[in-house]
Amino acid sequence: MLDARVWFVWALTTLVAASATRSPLYIIVLLLTTMVVGGTCAAGEGRRAPLSPLRFAMVAVPLSALFNALTIHLGDTVLLHLPSWIPLMGGAITLEAVTFGALNGLTLTVIFAAFSVFNQVTPVRDLIKLTPRAFHEGGVVLSIALTFIPQTTRSLQRIREAQAVRGHRVRGIRDWLPIVVPLLVSGLERAMGLAEAMVARGYGAVCSEKQPFRTQALIIVGLMTLLAGWLAYLFNAAWSAPAVAVIAIGAVTIGVAIWLTGRGVNHTVYRARSWTAGDSFALLGCAVTLVAACRGRAALYYSPYPVLTLPSFDPLMGLAMLGLLVPAIVTVAREDAEMHRDPDEGNGFSKQPQTSTDHG
Amino acid sequence: MRKLIGGAIYLLSGALGVLAFIYPFFTSAGALVQRGAAHAQDAPLLTAGLVGLSVVALLVELQGRTLSAKTVAMLGVLVAFTSVLRFLEVAFPMPGGFSPIFGPIIIAGYVFGGRFGFLMGTFTLLASGLVTGGIGPWLPYQMFTAGWAGLSAGWLGQASEWMKDKMPGPAHAKEEQRMAQDVSDADVIVLCGFGFVWGLLYGAIMNIYFWPFAVGPAAQTWEPGIGLGKTLARYGVFYMVTSLAWDLARAVGNVVLLLALAKPMIRALNRFRRRFHFQVRGSHSDLTGLENHA
Repeated sequence: MLDARVWFVWALTTLVAASATRSPLYIIVLLLTTMVVGGTCAAGEGRRAPLSPLRFAMVAVPLSALFNALTIHLGDTVLLHLPSWIPLMGGAITLEAVTFGALNGLTLTVIFAAFSVFNQVTPVRDLIKLTPRAFHEGGVVLSIALTFIPQTTRSLQRIREAQAVRGHRVRGIRDWLPIVVPLLVSGLERAMGLAEAMVARGYGAVCSEKQPFRTQALIIVGLMTLLAGWLAYLFNAAWSAPAVAVIAIGAVTIGVAIWLTGRGVNHTVYRARSWTAGDSFALLGCAVTLVAACRGRAALYYSPYPVLTLPSFDPLMGLAMLGLLVPAIVTVAREDAEMHRDPDEGNGFSKQPQTSTDHG
Repeated sequence: MRKLIGGAIYLLSGALGVLAFIYPFFTSAGALVQRGAAHAQDAPLLTAGLVGLSVVALLVELQGRTLSAKTVAMLGVLVAFTSVLRFLEVAFPMPGGFSPIFGPIIIAGYVFGGRFGFLMGTFTLLASGLVTGGIGPWLPYQMFTAGWAGLSAGWLGQASEWMKDKMPGPAHAKEEQRMAQDVSDADVIVLCGFGFVWGLLYGAIMNIYFWPFAVGPAAQTWEPGIGLGKTLARYGVFYMVTSLAWDLARAVGNVVLLLALAKPMIRALNRFRRRFHFQVRGSHSDLTGLENHA
């Protein structure tokens, strides 16, 4: 399994690449790549997406095409005319508008599919581990919430059953009251117990420490720099490059503030995951696609307006898009290596168990 | 001084967030067009990054100032409670854009104040996004907007307290009502109105970040340099055509939920707010013992 950070970069790269083009050929390449990666890497995972990308596409593509066709009356290939007295929708329905709408729907499907894969392949505990040290309290809140969700769901079930035994039936929203209020109160009782336990273990001992002045000042400088750079970017196209540089400086300043805040937080990992060659390889593949998507905007550009034309396809760009396929290649290679591994190796009998205690 | 700096961080990240949503209304004519069609998608991507950074900056500030063990435990459990409601929404699709998560976020902000409300809004969207597979580029916007809903609910709570203080009437009656932490019908009506407005506002805000880049009829789409009045008029038409019905379901749902739940939930939260005011103090002998041991 790849590192959660690699999967995050992979999903972001897919988002950037999909947002950069409306060419159906590149979108299809991206969609196929995402589906292959999903099929290879997410097949054995326990977490299932609430909606499959195929189902999403079956809704998003026709809806987007219909909405675009009804509301945009650009394009030369007229399919039919709607009476002009119909507000907003009256006018020519064109093939170009239908096509552009469908392409928008396909782009949305690619983004949805990429984040579905990300959600499926990265366990929640790995996502929480991604939380920077500076947000360790936020991480604790998230951990508590995620730990309490199954308990709260079980409590809901128990309360519903108990109320049903008393003859209570849910018919309207008011009938939820005898269920929701006990659920809330039992949750708050657990919070009370948890808070007492945390205070008893010394959690509250450092809560009164204020944010250092230096960190606050850095955050303010970072936010002001971001704001200045961004306003320059928006209001004058000629300042784009320096504005992006100013934004980057602002982002780095906030990054430094977060790093400084996190330095004071002790962080221990029970079982650290080591970075592998496969992670680096997958990251390299993402970098290739990202650079191509950012620098090859002209090659990726396509518009069906005013007359529908065949999109062009640059094989090099297509090849660069396949960089997103690397996680699937790494997974297949690992599975292959595991299948061909010597059966005596790693069975736990020939080696001493590896245990280590960190007294730091 | 520290309060001033904290306020400046709130102001700056708030300004960045507000501008991230409404910048198309103020962008100079042609600035986006000059970059060419191939770079049309740069601005939304950049904006998403900036919104993410401003949320992060605000969270650093908020965490450093308020999160004690009691707040962490209370927040964690309330986020879990609200996330379970989001499960219900995913499992049984609700009408239109109705989501049962806004009621608890508004009530928590109203009772515990703006900071708690902001954290409740952002963490609820994050935690429920993690468990329902809802992580995507839309998440920073959802977190920020839900955070604002909680933050403004805190202000509403403070305003309500202030109004009660200013209202004519015997002082002892007011004190009794405060001690009982009772919720009046007027409070519930105000909260329902607030929930209705946020039901519509959430959709309107979430639309704005992509609207300038939507292609459509001239009466509904944005063009650089058309002026604030015309932009608002066009956005109004776009909103009415594409989102109003969807958002109305959310707004009406919020009202129904708050009518049913606001009173008992506020009473329960107020009761626990008083119970959470415990302080742990070591006795002198304990401290001496610890020093000797060290």
